[in-house]
Amino acid sequence: MTSTAIHPSSPASPPGEAPAVWTQGLGKRYGNFDALNDLTLEIARGEVFGLLGPNGAGKTTFLRTLLGYLRRTSGSAEVLGIDPEVDPVGVRRFVSYLPGDARLPRQLRGHAVLRFFADIRPDGDLENALAIADRLELDLRRHVGFMSTGMRQKLAIAAVIGTRSQVLILDEPTANLDPTIRSRVLELVLETKREGRTVIFSSHVLSEIEEVCDRVALLRQGRLALHQKLAELRARHRILATRMSTTPGAAASLPAVPPELAESISQVAFDGPELMIETVGDLAPVLGWLASLDLTKVRAETFGLRAVYDSVHHHEAVSV
Amino acid sequence: MIDRVLVRTYLVQSLLLWAACATTLFAFAWVRVWVSSLIDMGQFRTIVEQFRDFERFAPIGFDALFTHTGRIGMTFDEPIVILCTVVWAIARGSDVVSGELGRGTLEMLLAQPISRTKLLLSHAAVATAGLASIVLALWAGMAIGVARTEVTETVPPPSLRIPFTAFELPLTMAGPTQESFPMSSVVNPYDFAAGVFSLFALGFFVLGLSTLLSCLDRYRWRTIGLVLSIYIFQLVIYGLGKAADRLSWLQGWSFFNWYRPQKQIAEVAGGGWAAPWRWTGPDADSWFGPGVYPWLLIGGGLLFYLLGIIAFRRRDLPAPL
Repeated sequence: MTSTAIHPSSPASPPGEAPAVWTQGLGKRYGNFDALNDLTLEIARGEVFGLLGPNGAGKTTFLRTLLGYLRRTSGSAEVLGIDPEVDPVGVRRFVSYLPGDARLPRQLRGHAVLRFFADIRPDGDLENALAIADRLELDLRRHVGFMSTGMRQKLAIAAVIGTRSQVLILDEPTANLDPTIRSRVLELVLETKREGRTVIFSSHVLSEIEEVCDRVALLRQGRLALHQKLAELRARHRILATRMSTTPGAAASLPAVPPELAESISQVAFDGPELMIETVGDLAPVLGWLASLDLTKVRAETFGLRAVYDSVHHHEAVSV
Repeated sequence: MIDRVLVRTYLVQSLLLWAACATTLFAFAWVRVWVSSLIDMGQFRTIVEQFRDFERFAPIGFDALFTHTGRIGMTFDEPIVILCTVVWAIARGSDVVSGELGRGTLEMLLAQPISRTKLLLSHAAVATAGLASIVLALWAGMAIGVARTEVTETVPPPSLRIPFTAFELPLTMAGPTQESFPMSSVVNPYDFAAGVFSLFALGFFVLGLSTLLSCLDRYRWRTIGLVLSIYIFQLVIYGLGKAADRLSWLQGWSFFNWYRPQKQIAEVAGGGWAAPWRWTGPDADSWFGPGVYPWLLIGGGLLFYLLGIIAFRRRDLPAPL
């Protein structure tokens, strides 16, 4: 699924108000392999934008293209109105990036690493980085070479989130972290959002995306398979129930969805006695109708990202 | 052009290697001057004359070696001196891109607002300054060695050569006498300035080559292997060119043909301190003066750097391994 984005440099959207990220038909090809294909996307300033997709879907390629690490083979891309291929340094002046596998100079101590990244950036803030390191319970006296994988990840997070950059790109920031520190990192992401900064959050952990993101894009085989507002997703439910009557003609006897609920019920499916109803918006009016049906073992669950992800991942149709 | 923070980081990174190379060169140069003083010039001449048939393999004619300046000048072709210089050049040059890629640190480094050109130039500034300082350490070792060493030579009794014969008639019945004098009275450390520059130029050439290959590659071990392969190949064809007259044309295809520190030092004896830096030959038969050759090496190194910058700016940055 693709959508048309307004060009950020158009009169309606001057560079000073350009979206955090804008791409149009973005593509990256390696030989015969399309790592990215016709990706059109817009990320607004100040939002937390999730990137989801299986391994090799093109998430990291997309992020690295935005930073000017890779030269695109087709399409256009702008970050805060700056083309990363024309002015990669200009882009990186406003963007901080945490790679999926962040590696730091092994010969430096933790404190020296934070000082290096604070000094080298115009928006570097050593005090903030030190405060974040403290929140992440990181011992900065150790050499990077003697740190565990999780400690190195925490150090990289402190170095990246500690800056005052307008845009943060975090590629799997919670990898290798224990549950306590994970939740602190998610808190930091939400604090960053409250400061009005933009966060692009790539992760395989669906619950984390659901917790912090405003919108999410699902990539599959280099293409944008879906993008979804999380608020809309949270308002959707799936109701599972078993019909009391399991005679062969029971399906036909199931009452039709009342017209006043047509907006609230997006899908009704049954497999033998098992019934599945997907709802959108307020659940209360639907419950009344359900009570009139001949159902038992009724349970309602939020329509989580898992269902969307599975649908996209397994090439199933999904109604959104 | 260069970034202060990066320069500081590269200095810290390279400090240990620099200290090892500089100390080795300083100490070796000093010791070598002292060892040179231990061998009597007459004995040295006798030894060297035994190998007159192999003179063409030597960097300069043997006659130029029969001075203290010439003998100390041989330091510039000592394997340990070349080794330290080349180790510095290859270690630093190969690290800049493929080394950082291999360690995975380039990803976060280039996420900062630094252009690739600035990164390369910052690295080049530290590597070149380090190279200059280690060859200066060699020179300092030579200068201190010259200042602190005393030479003892055997002076034969006065004699008279009978014309048309090879017979020497002693004028006294006294035996040879031992005469001691400071090395500094016969050797001026400034005579080696051109040799030091030549060594720097060789190092800069290899540094540029290593940097170029590092900019093209993603594995440091492969970069080092490639540089060493080229180095050895060039050395072999230079040796073959020296060994056989009919293969002498091969010398022109080796960059070692441009490394002539001993010839430059020998020029000082005949033409003064300005002689090794001349760009034109002393006569119509020789187009280039000895001063051209180090600049050819430096020009080659600069060309490699330029190509490296172009390649690095254009390439996709591969994901960390």
